[in-house]
Amino acid sequence: MNIPDSARKPYQNELSRWWWLKQRYYRLYMLREATVLPLLFFIGCLLYGLYCLTQGAAHWQSFQLFMQQGWVIALNLLAFAASLFHAKTFFALFPRVMPLAPAALMISGQWLATLLVATGVLLLFGGWL
Amino acid sequence: MIDYQLLIQRYDPEHDNEPRLQRFTVPGDHTTSVLDALLYVQQKLEVTLGLRWSCRMAICGSCGVMVNGIPKLGCKTFLRDYHSDITIEPLAHFAVEKDLIVDMTQFLAHLSAIKPYLINDYSGTTVHKQTPAQLAKYQQFSNCINCGLCYSACPQFGLNPEFLGPAAITLAQRYNLDSRDNGKAARMPQLNGKNGAWGCTFVGFCSDVCPKQLDPAAAVNQAKVESAKDFIISMFKP
Repeated sequence: MNIPDSARKPYQNELSRWWWLKQRYYRLYMLREATVLPLLFFIGCLLYGLYCLTQGAAHWQSFQLFMQQGWVIALNLLAFAASLFHAKTFFALFPRVMPLAPAALMISGQWLATLLVATGVLLLFGGWL
Repeated sequence: MIDYQLLIQRYDPEHDNEPRLQRFTVPGDHTTSVLDALLYVQQKLEVTLGLRWSCRMAICGSCGVMVNGIPKLGCKTFLRDYHSDITIEPLAHFAVEKDLIVDMTQFLAHLSAIKPYLINDYSGTTVHKQTPAQLAKYQQFSNCINCGLCYSACPQFGLNPEFLGPAAITLAQRYNLDSRDNGKAARMPQLNGKNGAWGCTFVGFCSDVCPKQLDPAAAVNQAKVESAKDFIISMFKP
């Protein structure tokens, strides 16, 4: 009698490159990862500003004019919102990776530290300290 | 009784080249689970429907399926929570053997690769004493029922089947955190590799779908901390 080795024929479905569009959860994850894109623009602005600072007063003034344009302000506001969103997700994940204290305490502690450091830096560079 | 519309993925390896969806109308009330509905289809409408199931009470971990694209235990998911067509497919990221039955060989290989047992020098008659505090360190991660839902939720496993995956890394953490175990050194090489804990990008969907609320994503990322510590310590060892 002729017995085939196996009647198996497993069907493997390949994951398409658009897998992250299939689920709300995946889309939120990709949004979290994509927060780096507007931040890249912000870092570019920062580096451009530093470069202009080394090139003298005329360059520095042109940098200030560049920063006052509507679209630059809009993109930087977007970068700010993105970094706040990223911070929110990161602060929520951190207590799960390093459960040092109750999660709610760690999350509020991280926001408090962010607020204090940010205020301190603003006061310092604003010349109030 | 309400009539529910089920779209069930069918695949017969002897006749089909790729899966197809087949529509069934199943009567149900507020207690009818997806597994009940599948068994109704198998017993009354389509005797050739292939599916895995056993306990019907979310303990055995056999009846995992995709319900409207989300990994679920059939026995723990109820038709009452769905208001239009319910699409039922086999667990994603695994090869389909027949209808709703997938090949879990890779998953089982990953589980055994991390040496999921106590490794120590105790002799056979030694009493393994453990305080409640020591138990609490790993207890949450010991409730895994090996249903594989987290693998279907994990895009990293979907993209790279060599990735150890959520359940296996959680199981490694479960034994590494056990005070009776001395096998951490034997498990770390698996976790340190690119297919170990570092293959995870913290999508976090695994924790969302886990029917036992193990939080595998937390375990995997705790394993990253352990892996980093292991790396630093190894730099100072001769």
